[in-house]
Amino acid sequence: MSETFVIVGASLAGGGAAATLRQEGFDGRVILIGAEPQPPYERPPLSKDYLRGESSFEEALFQPSNFYEENGIETRFGARVTRVDATGNVVEFGDGEQVAYDRLLIATGGRNRRLSIPGLDLEGVYGLRTVADCERIRAEIAPGRKAVVVGMGFIGSEVAGSLRQSGVEVVIVDRNEAPLRRVLGEEVGRVIEGIHRDNGVSMIFEDTVAAFEGAGRVERVTTQGGRRIECDFAVVGLGIEPVTGLLAGTGVEIDNGIVVDEFCRTGVEGIYAAGDVANHYHPVFERRIRVEHWQNALKQGHAAARNMLDKDEPYDEIPWFWSDQYDLNLQYAGFHTEWDELVVRGSMGERNFVAFYRKDGRVLAAVAANRGRDLRRSMRLIKAQCPVDAAKLRDLDVDMRLLADAASSH
Amino acid sequence: MAEFVTVAGVDDIEEGELRAFDVRDARIAVANVAGAFHAFDDTCTHRQCSLAAGDLEDTTVICPCHGSEFDVTSGAVLQGPAREAVETYETRLEEDSLEIKV
Repeated sequence: MSETFVIVGASLAGGGAAATLRQEGFDGRVILIGAEPQPPYERPPLSKDYLRGESSFEEALFQPSNFYEENGIETRFGARVTRVDATGNVVEFGDGEQVAYDRLLIATGGRNRRLSIPGLDLEGVYGLRTVADCERIRAEIAPGRKAVVVGMGFIGSEVAGSLRQSGVEVVIVDRNEAPLRRVLGEEVGRVIEGIHRDNGVSMIFEDTVAAFEGAGRVERVTTQGGRRIECDFAVVGLGIEPVTGLLAGTGVEIDNGIVVDEFCRTGVEGIYAAGDVANHYHPVFERRIRVEHWQNALKQGHAAARNMLDKDEPYDEIPWFWSDQYDLNLQYAGFHTEWDELVVRGSMGERNFVAFYRKDGRVLAAVAANRGRDLRRSMRLIKAQCPVDAAKLRDLDVDMRLLADAASSH
Repeated sequence: MAEFVTVAGVDDIEEGELRAFDVRDARIAVANVAGAFHAFDDTCTHRQCSLAAGDLEDTTVICPCHGSEFDVTSGAVLQGPAREAVETYETRLEEDSLEIKV
């Protein structure tokens, strides 16, 4: 009898996994289930060109709309799985309907973190995760309107940039001293701050939102620091939390997402996880990491599918992502939580640099501004996890490929 | 009518390197793969970055901005986010000159 592989989460990871199962020759049933009504699509445009009305939704679709049918992939879009029964090997929808599986991939991603701020439910206060969220924000955009963006992480920064580019007056409120300071450090944060300042964004740091106020609809944002900021709408970007509730009672370990090994396997036979929801054991960094980015979703989805077919291939891609803000192309590769030295190659003042996060002589991660080639070349260096001379990293005349070659041959 | 146009000398692009040229109205990138020259549109079909500013690994060019990968011999997409192939152009060597058919 042929096997049934069920994928919960019609996301980049889930859609990519479904495609990979077929590419790898799996001839059983593949059922792709997603809570959103749309087939899998890419989220990066939602804070960038799609938000600005410069591209169509069709361009964001992960696969052409006939792809699933042509590849014999059964789809259930707009259907939310609420429970997994790992003993009976079924997933269950909200209305009680069940679908049986032999192997199961969870790629449910994340939902926006909602802090308990008074007025968060007022009309005109938005989060951004789905295309539906994006449409609502798009409908608010018009030159001269006023927006408050709460949180200056990557999504907040990109949304602020897109709003500004669309003529909206933008005020950002962020609790840190500089944008992304905790992640990228003060120096890199100041570069991001600078480009937003040059583009006319007002930024308020070291303050947090006390309330969204208005009669039925948001009219102003008040802060703990006592500010009152009038606005026509607000966008909140305070990160996501992994969607894991459906696994309650299955015995699958949940700790900052779904805990999986290097093969994307949970501790429960036949259940796998990939993408934003997966807290994956990364063999290069020798620890678990949960990554919320495009490349990880895509490639980890592929890897999970291959491992569902018992290929036993550890997933060891170096995490990488980009963030486009105005004419700034920011990219990050690697994984770091702390560093003892930031080595800068290029010029921060000219916004053309790679900054390496170095610890005990090894490069853990790098962030680049308008210097994508060097960033890509540093990925092998990061993978090698070997000591690298800081002076050479700084020297623009030293080809990054040679440094990577030297590190790889260690 | 397309015809061959000289864009560079054969020694102007080292092995494993990329360079872009303005040829008539087009911006065209040339890759030197082990002495063979491959010409293609320099503009990435995803977000219009210059591919010549990216990296060349064997016959794959990697966009410096978002990592899209194209086969320099056919222009085909090997890895997204780009969906559309880049145009490719015929090249030839005439004595010490590299020519592209545009």
